[in-house]
Amino acid sequence: MNPMAQALRSRQLGVYVCTACSRQLRRQRRSYAATAAKTPDIYDVVCIGGGPAGLSLLAALRSSPATSNLKVALIESQDLSKTRDFTLPKTEFSNRCSSLTPSSVSFLDSIGAWKLVKQERVQPYQEMQVWDGVSGARIEFDWPAEGKGKTIAFMNENLNLTSGLLKRVEELGDVEVFDKQRVADIGLGEETEEGDLRGWPIVKLDGGREVVARLLVGADGVNSPVRQFAGIGSKGWDYGRYGVVATLELEGSGWGGEDLKTAYQRFLPTGPVAMLPMPGNYSTLVWSTTPELAAVLKSLSPKDFIAMVNAAFRLSPTDLAFLHTQTEGQADEVAWRTQHTDFDASRIPQQVIGVQEGSVASFPLKLRHADTYIGERVALVGDAAHTIHPLAGQGLNQGQGDVESLVKTIEYAVTHGQDIGVQMSLESYNAERYAANNMMLGVCDKIHKLYAVESGPLVPLRSLGLRAVNALGPLKQFFMSQASGTGAKIL
Amino acid sequence: MTPVPLRATSIRNLNLLLKTAPRFVQNQFRQQSTTSSVNPEEVSHFNALASTWWDPHGSSRLLHLMNPLRHDFIRTCHASQPDAPPTTGLKYLDIGCGGGIFAESAARLHSAGSVTAIDPSPEVLAIAKGHARKDPGLKDKLTYRNTSIEGLPIPTSPAEQYDIVSIFEVVEHITHPAEFLDKCTPFVKPGGWIVMSTIARTWMSWLTTKVVAEDLVGIVPRGTHDWEKYINEEELRGHFLRERGWNSPRVMGVVYVPGLGWKEVSGSERVGNYFFGIRKDF
Repeated sequence: MNPMAQALRSRQLGVYVCTACSRQLRRQRRSYAATAAKTPDIYDVVCIGGGPAGLSLLAALRSSPATSNLKVALIESQDLSKTRDFTLPKTEFSNRCSSLTPSSVSFLDSIGAWKLVKQERVQPYQEMQVWDGVSGARIEFDWPAEGKGKTIAFMNENLNLTSGLLKRVEELGDVEVFDKQRVADIGLGEETEEGDLRGWPIVKLDGGREVVARLLVGADGVNSPVRQFAGIGSKGWDYGRYGVVATLELEGSGWGGEDLKTAYQRFLPTGPVAMLPMPGNYSTLVWSTTPELAAVLKSLSPKDFIAMVNAAFRLSPTDLAFLHTQTEGQADEVAWRTQHTDFDASRIPQQVIGVQEGSVASFPLKLRHADTYIGERVALVGDAAHTIHPLAGQGLNQGQGDVESLVKTIEYAVTHGQDIGVQMSLESYNAERYAANNMMLGVCDKIHKLYAVESGPLVPLRSLGLRAVNALGPLKQFFMSQASGTGAKIL
Repeated sequence: MTPVPLRATSIRNLNLLLKTAPRFVQNQFRQQSTTSSVNPEEVSHFNALASTWWDPHGSSRLLHLMNPLRHDFIRTCHASQPDAPPTTGLKYLDIGCGGGIFAESAARLHSAGSVTAIDPSPEVLAIAKGHARKDPGLKDKLTYRNTSIEGLPIPTSPAEQYDIVSIFEVVEHITHPAEFLDKCTPFVKPGGWIVMSTIARTWMSWLTTKVVAEDLVGIVPRGTHDWEKYINEEELRGHFLRERGWNSPRVMGVVYVPGLGWKEVSGSERVGNYFFGIRKDF
């Protein structure tokens, strides 16, 4: 056999010792059963949070030959059976959608989860139209002739993704799932005759159960209890903006039909408004705006809401500001003003004709970045580590990138006999992801701030910037490659 | 012969060092002695370092960073065998285990059946034992013994011998390395490996380990190394191949690149740190 192949094989066979440690603890529990019924179970990896990042971590750990012997557990406060059984008719879509880059999709594919995501509910898009609502300067992200039809990203409902991931986790098996259980407390273990667990996190569930973690992974969102337990700070600010989401029905399946879909984003002084294609005649809306305007939008009748969305991609910021002051009657007002506004219909989304009942919702926009992603026996992934402005659709993809990197780090630790929980073993994860995420957070933050300016010298400058990018083919391709996650890594 | 009291880091002695060191080490390699392989001064030096052994940012950081390469090297040794190595139940003997960086990691491998780790320094071994208690998974597989190699009973059958005898970063601290290695070899099972790592005795290694690492940057505690005790790869190879019973010597030179860590660099065994492994005949 060639030595390389043999080396590789022995590496894959080098699996972790921890079945021994759990066996030992079970023995211990048995012998003290009468007095110490509460002796907790030891797991190699305990993941708190069953969202996209947490579930993908478990699927990846269970599907990798190097880490498949690890004893793993998932703690999730929600009922996961609802996620697993996610189903909606073809004409309805959940309002929480994300853009998945090709590199996220290829990772999901490599861990065997993508095939379990309902493909008929996923919409790839091939072009992007981005323009400045104040100056009208525009950048058109369409691939040059040879790359025509290449996918920039895939629009997908978050529930469709988590449902597929959960099915994959269940297909692989051997994951202890504690769902519908809240974390009551996270503390540290004790020193006993059996060993010194003073450095090991113990998660206490409100059902009374206790689990000990060699490595505790916080995939537990922006207010991460795991991050707080580890004493890791988080810096950032609230944008004073809300993201208004809705599932929309359009007059057609888009100017390019089913096979050439376009994502649209217009920068308004209140924030960017984006319309992203879903299968068929449907699209999903993400409109970042002030809390007051978000409240007005949510209170409108479906007819007036539809008119406001159409106006957001067509009318001037001045017109929009006026329309926001009205409590009703936007539909007529928009119809009249649209007649007196010039725009190229082929470069903006088709007319919205319907909004899915109950799909209009909003959430506050924040920027947060943890001071570090690792601590002793602690790692943070996804929103627990960073929260980004949604304008570039990068949030969920950053989480998938974290998981891919963390699993690679754990694989290396296992095959080299390192304790996967200690900070030294986790250093490469933090080094690989921190700077990359920080740059993406910074870029999106600067873009948001740049476009929040309504007048003054910045407006012509940023328009010049957009026009220049638009004129320069190679630069534009660079931006597109970054957006689709296929480009050279910036760092 | 009494060792010349050299202070490698003193410029005044540099000239003397350059003139005498190579011959000194050659003589030493041939020399026979009946005393223990352990140098008491070395033991007290490592006693003093014991408390920082497991601090990932402390004086042993370079050893922590090097440890994964030890496993990579053992894998390449195994991969070079014509017969497939066992995938489970491997017996390890780690000589001069220090705080247990390698011993713990070997015991965590699925392929390891048991690890016996020895060190002559009681303070260092206490640190090793205390640290191993922090991982309950190690308890059944890892045994520490406070002894030098002379204190272990010489095996009388292959069942008592070891698949892997490891001597990492040790021979450069031994006064009579040839004699020491001869004491280690009976512990290797036929078809098993003796693996070690050390530093080549070159002007480059003197510069990097003594002057830069100990004096200028301070990344390694001062007095950790005696450059004149460094051994070159061809000396090790010659030692084992002179005696019959050993085959398939392997070598891997490694270089520490600040910011990147330890990297395998082909040919660097002639310059600085390197791994050496050789297989015992059946």
